[in-house]
Amino acid sequence: MNYVPGTASLIDDIDNVASCLPQTGSIVTDYNKHLVLLRDGRTLIGYLRSIDQFANLVFHQTVERIHVGKKFGDIPRGIFIVRGENVVLLGEIDVEKPCDTVLQQVSIEEILEEQRLQQQTKQETEKVKMQVLKDRGLSIPKADNLDEY
Amino acid sequence: MFRFQSLDEDCTLEEEDEGLVEEEDEIDQFNDDTFGAGAINDDWQEEHKRLAELDERDELAAGLSLGGGGTLGGEPDLGGTQHSSSSSSSSRLPPSAGRLPLPSSLPPLGFSSSSSGLPPPDVEDRPGDGDLAESLARLILEADPAIAGVGAAERPGPPPGPGLSGLHGLDQPRVLQQTSSIPHQHPHHPQLPPGPSASGLPPGPPPSSMLSYQQQQHLMRRGTAPMGQMNSHSIWENSMGFGPVSVTPGLVTHMEDSPLMSIIKEVGLPKRPPQGRNDEGRDLSERVPPPRSSSPVIGSPPVRAVPIGTPPKQPMSHALNHQNSPLCRGPFPPRVGPVLSQIQRAQLLNSQVAGFPRGGPGPPLLPGGGGFRPFFGGPPPPHGHRMGPPPPHGPPNHTPPIRHNTTHLHPQHRRMLTQRMQSRGGDRGRTGGDRRSRDPYSNLMTQKEKEWVTKIQMMQLQSTDPYLDDYYYQNYYEKMEKRQERERDSSKKEHTTKLITPQVAKVEHTYRPVQFAGSLGKLTVSSVNNPRKMIDAVVTTRTDDEEKREKQVWNKRRQILYTVEKMYSLLLEVQDFEKRFVQTPEEDRDALVEQHKSNTEQLCSSLMEKEWEDRVSDEQCVMIMSVRKGKRLISRLLPFLPSPQATAVVMAIARNLPALAKKDKQDQVLCWLVEPVSTVIQSLSSSSLTDLLQELQGSEGQLATVLHNKFGVTLLYLILSEGERMQSSDPNCQLMDDNRWTELVFSVTRELLSVPSSALSPPLFTPPNLLSLFSRYVDRQRLELLQDKLQMSALSR
Repeated sequence: MNYVPGTASLIDDIDNVASCLPQTGSIVTDYNKHLVLLRDGRTLIGYLRSIDQFANLVFHQTVERIHVGKKFGDIPRGIFIVRGENVVLLGEIDVEKPCDTVLQQVSIEEILEEQRLQQQTKQETEKVKMQVLKDRGLSIPKADNLDEY
Repeated sequence: MFRFQSLDEDCTLEEEDEGLVEEEDEIDQFNDDTFGAGAINDDWQEEHKRLAELDERDELAAGLSLGGGGTLGGEPDLGGTQHSSSSSSSSRLPPSAGRLPLPSSLPPLGFSSSSSGLPPPDVEDRPGDGDLAESLARLILEADPAIAGVGAAERPGPPPGPGLSGLHGLDQPRVLQQTSSIPHQHPHHPQLPPGPSASGLPPGPPPSSMLSYQQQQHLMRRGTAPMGQMNSHSIWENSMGFGPVSVTPGLVTHMEDSPLMSIIKEVGLPKRPPQGRNDEGRDLSERVPPPRSSSPVIGSPPVRAVPIGTPPKQPMSHALNHQNSPLCRGPFPPRVGPVLSQIQRAQLLNSQVAGFPRGGPGPPLLPGGGGFRPFFGGPPPPHGHRMGPPPPHGPPNHTPPIRHNTTHLHPQHRRMLTQRMQSRGGDRGRTGGDRRSRDPYSNLMTQKEKEWVTKIQMMQLQSTDPYLDDYYYQNYYEKMEKRQERERDSSKKEHTTKLITPQVAKVEHTYRPVQFAGSLGKLTVSSVNNPRKMIDAVVTTRTDDEEKREKQVWNKRRQILYTVEKMYSLLLEVQDFEKRFVQTPEEDRDALVEQHKSNTEQLCSSLMEKEWEDRVSDEQCVMIMSVRKGKRLISRLLPFLPSPQATAVVMAIARNLPALAKKDKQDQVLCWLVEPVSTVIQSLSSSSLTDLLQELQGSEGQLATVLHNKFGVTLLYLILSEGERMQSSDPNCQLMDDNRWTELVFSVTRELLSVPSSALSPPLFTPPNLLSLFSRYVDRQRLELLQDKLQMSALSR
C-alpha cells in the first residue's frame, strides 16, 4: 500500500513479500531478500524488516558478500541496522529469476584471503605509480573516497 | 514470622560479629564522618528490623485480608501463620473467601483505598493490639500504591498447588487495582479468572506467596536497603529496579523455581509505570525535551509534546492485555510465563507497539536455539495460539482507507494506485498468508508503524503552492489529461477528471521583532525563528588595477548571467500567467493582468537599447546569447515578444550569426532557436524576409560561415522556403518586386554550389519546397547539382 505518489517505497518490501506473481500450483518457499550497497563498498544481503523515514534499514539474517574477481564469499552477520545515509543503492533480489552467473562461491577464508591479496596488489601498484609520478615531479592528490568535504 | 525473622537476623548478626567485631565501631565512625554531626544517630539495625517487620506484616496481612477492614492492628504472629507450609494452604481459602464482604468497612476509616486497592490487614486474625501510631503508619504505607504493590506480595496463603497458585497470582494484581473488583475475584478461585481488567496488568508484585521464604526475605531486604528513611515512597523508589514488578499470571505457577527468581533478582525486571492508565501521558511527558535554558521561548518554535521523530507508541496495557488473554486460557506450561514477559519486554523495547489483534504473530519466538533464559525451554506452544488472531488480513480485501492527506492525489493516480494494489493483493493473498504464517519474523514492523512512516513521507507532499513545489507531478498529470482528451472520442464527452489540489493554508509568518515597552534599542535575544544580526558587515570594493582587469572579464560574464537570471524569472512568470489566471478569483484577475503586462514590458525593455528605447539592442542580444542559458532564454522568450521586436531579435541573430556560431561550438545549443525562429519567420512580411536574408549574407564570407553551421543552414533553408511559399501561394507577393530577393537567392545558390559538400553542414530539416525555389532561378544543370548536394546533406544527416 503505497500512498506516496510517484515514488518507490520500501514499505511494501518489508519482510518477505514477493511482488511478482507466483507460479500457479506451486507454493513459493523462497523469500525475497534485499541487497544493499553501502557507501564503504560493502554489499549486504538480507531480509528487510523495518525502515523509517530516513531509510534506516533493519536487516535480518544478513550476509555480507565479498566479491573478488569471479569468486564471492558470504559471511553471515546476523542482524544489521544500517543508517540511512550510508545506503548507496538497495534492491530486491528476485528469487525467481534464473541464476546463471559465472560467479563461483567459495569459503569465507578463501574469499578473505583473495580480498587481502587484491588490496595488496592494488596498494603496490598505487605505490609504484606515485613513485613514478614523483620522479617526474608530478603529484596527483589521492581522493579519499570517504572524505567528501 | 517473627521467629524466623529473628533467626535470620541472628544469623546475619552472628556472621557480622564473627568477622567484623572491631569494624562495627569504625563503621559508625565513618558514618559520622560522612554525614557529619547532623546525621541521624539512631541505630540503623533497629530501623531495619522495624521496617522489615512492618513490610512483612503488610504483606501478610494484605494477603490474608483482601477485604479486611476494621481495626488495623498488626501482628507479627499472623505473618508467621501465614507462612505456614503449603499443606495448610487449602484451609486458607475459605477464611480468605470469608473475608470478602469486608471491604465495605474500609471507607469508614477515611482512607480511599481505591488508589492503593489494598485493604488493610484483616480484622479477624489480628487483635487490635498495635498502637494507633503504628497502625496509622501502616495505613499510610499501604495507601501508597508503590508500597502497596510490593507489600501486597503476600496473598491468601501459600499456593495450594500449581494450578491454583496461578489463580492467586492472578488475583493479586487485580486486587491492587480495584477494591470493587475484589468481591468478584474470589468466587472465581477454582477457575481462571476472566481476562484481565481494562486497566491492564497492574504492576503486580512477584507473588511472594510463591516464593520460598528466604527468597522473599531477600527481596524485602533488598527492597528496604536505604535506611533511615521514613518516607515510604522513597524506600521503594530506591530499590534496585525492584519497583512494582509486573509478572504475568502464567508466571506465577512455578515461581518456586529458583532459577527464575534468581534471574529476576539478578537482572531486575524493568520498572513499569505503576498505572497503566497514565501511560500515555507519562510517556509523552518523558519524551518532552527538557525546557530550554539557553534560548528563550520568544520566537522559538512551539514545543512539541512529542518530538517529531517519535515512532508511534500504544499504551503498554493494551499490549499486555491482549497478550494475556490468549495465554490465560488453557493450561499453559508454566514455562511459558517467563517467555512471555521477556517477549513483552523485548517487544516493548523494540517496537513499542502492540497491534495484536491486527498485527499477527507478534515478536519473534526464538525457536529453541536462541534462548537466553535457561527456562526458555522447548518449542513455544503459544505460537499456535498466537496465530489465533488471523494473520494479516491481506491488504487486498478492501480498498485501504484513503487517508485524508491523500485526497489530493490526482483521481487518475488514485485509480492507478488501487488497481496496482488489487493486482498485487490478488496474487499475494494466496501465498501471503502462507508465507507469513511460516515466517516467524515477519511483521516486526507493524502496520501502524508502516503507516506512520508513510504519513511522514506524505507530510512532505503538503504544500502551499503545488505548482511550485510539485511541478513535475502536476505537469505530468496535466499532460496525461490532455492526452486523454485528445484520444478520447469527442462524442463520449466523458468527464475528464480535474486535478484539484487542496492547498495547505499559507500562513504568513511575518517577523515582528520583539519589543518591550520602555526599552531602548533592539533586543539582543535571538532564536531559531528570529536570528539577529550580530555583526554589521560592510561591503568594500577593492581598487586594485590588475585585479580589476581580471575581474572585469569575470564581471562581465557574471553580469550577463545575472541579467539572464532576472529575465528568466520574468519569463517564467509570464509563461505561468495563463495558469494562474485561471486559478485566481475574479477580483484579483485585474491585478494579475496588470502584472503580466508589466512583466512583458520589462522583458522587452531588457532587450532594448539603452538610449533608443525602441530598438532592439544588438549588443545586448548577443551578450545574452553568448551564454548557453541565454540562448535558451531567447528561444523561450521569442513567442512572447511582440512581432516587431521578435523580428528585430531574429534579425540580430542573423546578423551576428558567425559570432554566435563560434561561441556555440562547444554547446551546440543554437538549434533550440530553430522552432521559435521559424515561427517568427513565417509571420514575416516579404520585405522583412528579404531583409533577413540580406542580414544573413551581410558581410563578406558570412554566408560561408553560415553554411558551416547547422543552425545557419537550417535558418537559411527556412528563409528560402518561406520565400518560396510566399511566392507560390500568393501571386501578388511583393517578393519579386525589387530584385533583392532574386539577387540574394542567386548568391545563395552560388555559394551552395561552391561550398564543398563536406563543409556543408546538414540542416535540422530540409524544407521540401527548396527545389521548386531553386528551379525558378537556376538552370537545370545547376539544379541537379544542387539537388545532389542537398540530398547528400540530407542523407548524411
